[in-house]
Amino acid sequence: MKAPGRTYPRRLLAGGVLLSVALPFVPLVLWAFSSRWFYPQPWPQAWGLRAWEYIFNTAGSQIIPGLMQSVWVAGLSALLAVALGLPAGRALGLYHFRGKQALAVLLTLPVVVPPLCVAMGLHLWFIRLGLTETLAGVVLIHSIFCLPYAVFVLWGVFANYDPDFEDQARSLGAGPWRTWYCITLPMVLPGVVVAGLFAFLLSWSQYLSTLIIGGGRVVTLPILLFALMGSGDRPVAAAVSLVFVLPALLILLISARCLGLRTATGVP
Amino acid sequence: MLKIPDSPQHIRTRPIRSTRQIAGLLGPAVVCVGLLFGGGVLLALLQGLGYLPGAGMADLSLVHFQRIFSDPDFMRSLGLTFYVAGVSTILAAAASVVLALGLNALAARSRWIHFIFQIPLTVPHLVIAVAVMFMLAPAGLFSRAAQTIGLIAGPQQFPLMVNDAYGIGIMATYIWKEVPFITLMVLAVLHNSGREFLEVGRTLKAGPWQRFRHITLPTILPGLAAASLIVFAYTFGAFEVPYLLGRTHPLLLPVRAYKKYSDVDLMARPEGIATGLIIALVVVLSALLAQAAARAARRRGGRP
Amino acid sequence: MGVLELIDLTVTHGATAVVENLDLAVDEGELFALLGPSGAGKTTLLKAVAGLHAPAAGEIRLDGSPLTDLPPEKRNVVMVFQKPLLFPFLNVAQNIAFGLRMQNLDSREQQRRIAEILELTQLEGLGRRRIDALSGGQQQRVSLARALVLQPALLLLDEPLSNLDANLRQQMRELIQDLQAATGITTLFVTHDQSEALMIAHRMGLLLEGRLRQVGPPRELFFEPVDRAVARFFGGRNFFSGYLEDGHLVTPAGRFRVPAGTANGRPLTATIRPEDIEVRASANGGLPGTIWRTSFEGSLTRLWVSCEDLELVALTPQRGCRRGQQVAVILPPEKLRIFPTDE
Repeated sequence: MKAPGRTYPRRLLAGGVLLSVALPFVPLVLWAFSSRWFYPQPWPQAWGLRAWEYIFNTAGSQIIPGLMQSVWVAGLSALLAVALGLPAGRALGLYHFRGKQALAVLLTLPVVVPPLCVAMGLHLWFIRLGLTETLAGVVLIHSIFCLPYAVFVLWGVFANYDPDFEDQARSLGAGPWRTWYCITLPMVLPGVVVAGLFAFLLSWSQYLSTLIIGGGRVVTLPILLFALMGSGDRPVAAAVSLVFVLPALLILLISARCLGLRTATGVP
Repeated sequence: MLKIPDSPQHIRTRPIRSTRQIAGLLGPAVVCVGLLFGGGVLLALLQGLGYLPGAGMADLSLVHFQRIFSDPDFMRSLGLTFYVAGVSTILAAAASVVLALGLNALAARSRWIHFIFQIPLTVPHLVIAVAVMFMLAPAGLFSRAAQTIGLIAGPQQFPLMVNDAYGIGIMATYIWKEVPFITLMVLAVLHNSGREFLEVGRTLKAGPWQRFRHITLPTILPGLAAASLIVFAYTFGAFEVPYLLGRTHPLLLPVRAYKKYSDVDLMARPEGIATGLIIALVVVLSALLAQAAARAARRRGGRP
Repeated sequence: MGVLELIDLTVTHGATAVVENLDLAVDEGELFALLGPSGAGKTTLLKAVAGLHAPAAGEIRLDGSPLTDLPPEKRNVVMVFQKPLLFPFLNVAQNIAFGLRMQNLDSREQQRRIAEILELTQLEGLGRRRIDALSGGQQQRVSLARALVLQPALLLLDEPLSNLDANLRQQMRELIQDLQAATGITTLFVTHDQSEALMIAHRMGLLLEGRLRQVGPPRELFFEPVDRAVARFFGGRNFFSGYLEDGHLVTPAGRFRVPAGTANGRPLTATIRPEDIEVRASANGGLPGTIWRTSFEGSLTRLWVSCEDLELVALTPQRGCRRGQQVAVILPPEKLRIFPTDE
């Protein structure tokens, strides 16, 4: 029940939240769409699309390849995470057996320990295996945390899934594959999609682990962004930041639609 | 996020048909993670303890750790990292409590506010660090605004907030990202049990301040502690933000670890790895404490 | 001490009114049951008396002084909710002490009262116990103790027995009765369970569709319903209409002598409880009829009897009644209840 006397404080709070959330995007948008902006004017002297032209049209621009690389790495990481995570989540969610607690701990650690530590440890071994400077190597290093995260999400999905539906389908004459395809998959699909999307986001945001294992050959957007910040080209850096953040916002919208605005558990 | 999912009452988990079945389902994931993560940690331990067969060092020793701990720079980095992570966590937690209470009282039903609040959760830290740089740098947006209204005469007069000694820019980034996370966790607790316990409190003659102190606070404390410890663990081990916004001396621990690891001097590598292990230790300890707090939270405020 | 008056009270829940223009008085030391179907908003009414919900109109008075502007913390009324709602971060004794602490009672006095109430509610020795280590019944008792220890003028109980299984319900029922008798606190409790109300209450009221249909001792509501709705609520199944003709009620079931002063000139309905109907095998005397359905319900059997102008449902301890059997049905006139036909 909305108490009438509460409209103003509520509007104030809503406004405050909106403002705080939008604040970081202001300088990004300003810089990305500026063509001339000198101190001390608080907004650009001239607007323009120079940065975007550079990104999309210039032959020497590494941005598009970097974007594609990011998409490949994150996409493959997500696929791997879901492919391995789906059966694991099903096992953990549907059945009860001893050692679940231990497994939970085993799966929590890789998510918690910073990628830095593990990447440094694995680096030499990856060099020996020829996995450094390869897409596969980077995907593998990302899977260290993307996979357990997906397992946890899918564990939750299957814990809420009633296997009696499958029994019912079998009893009505559906074979095991048919049951999986027509009954199980549609029912867990939203959760699977969310698991995949968040694994994608986790991999998408990675910088250091990609840098260490990718060795400068696998160049993703965050690596480019750092380089741009170092070079001082603010408009392009801002534009790339916006491109970089776009999937995150899209994924939020999609998962909100999928789960009905339920809380996202947060991705670094 | 770290909690083991429970099946609702009407769904019972089934007993396993065979170990092979479970092994088949869990196997690939467990093997993958076990090999990569376990292997990574093991190798890091070995290298940190001096085992480097390629360079002729095949004995385990604590020399790298000794060198680290006797280096005053390391201690300075360690202290600074604790400070940055700790202070940003505490500030974020305090702001979150106020925000959560406010949201609960004023906008408990508003889906829009909750949705907007989730945006910071998915935005990568790096983007915010870039934005903070653009806003708080000496020639940044705030400085320009200040000059325009006449508060300062030039960029030199703007207080140093990025690449500074106090890590202000870093903390601002963390606070922006983590306040929504903690707030949502606290809100979850308040939604679950808040209203009913408050009504009981009122009928048992507790005034508004008493209700806050004796009911609301104890109820949210475990959940708040769990969320804060998770935040601390993350900010302690994060690399990108201090790399961009931190000072060159003293370095925050994760940056120092990487710098040592990628140093031209091959002897510095194991020190980098050892530093990484120390970071991992602190982070894991925080996470374990967070688990314990989360368990306490579920026992306490979860189901009235 | 502890006289409650509800005067012309209207309470809304959202857009709908759960009670309208309600008048009720509960006497000192009375255990009053407010009975009504689930979801009828009885909890909302209770919350209004407790101060947790503002009434739309009307007055609530305790011992003559109005409660309307007092927040719940300041009213001498304590409400016990349907769920025990024990604070999980406090142990048993601390939970019980909560209200006393809020009132800054001297700690020695607190200890004394807690010890007293622990004994009264059969919770001795459990003071240090943690909440999650208690059984359902124990939790309910702690919840009661927590309220009683404050010695309020009025105690409000919201469906205290609904969450308990049959066994526990019996124990709690007795406990509530004993506690109420021992402490003499005026108690208002709401429930949807008739048997509960019938068993414990000194007086009870039936709340249907926002209005109090009848108030009185349990026997009265059960055996002397004032209208069809009340009768139906308590299991009445047999209703037939009739008209008055010099001191007799003429119905399809026969002519019955009625007491003088029974309302004249209005359409009347008569009802008789199923267990009051006598069913005899032979057809001399009484109304002839055929059993067309039976239902074995344990110690009693329910019979659906079709008479010439009338359908009746009877509950009989007799065994061996069968479908198709011809019987004679006798309606003792003193068991008949007559009231004006309402819409």
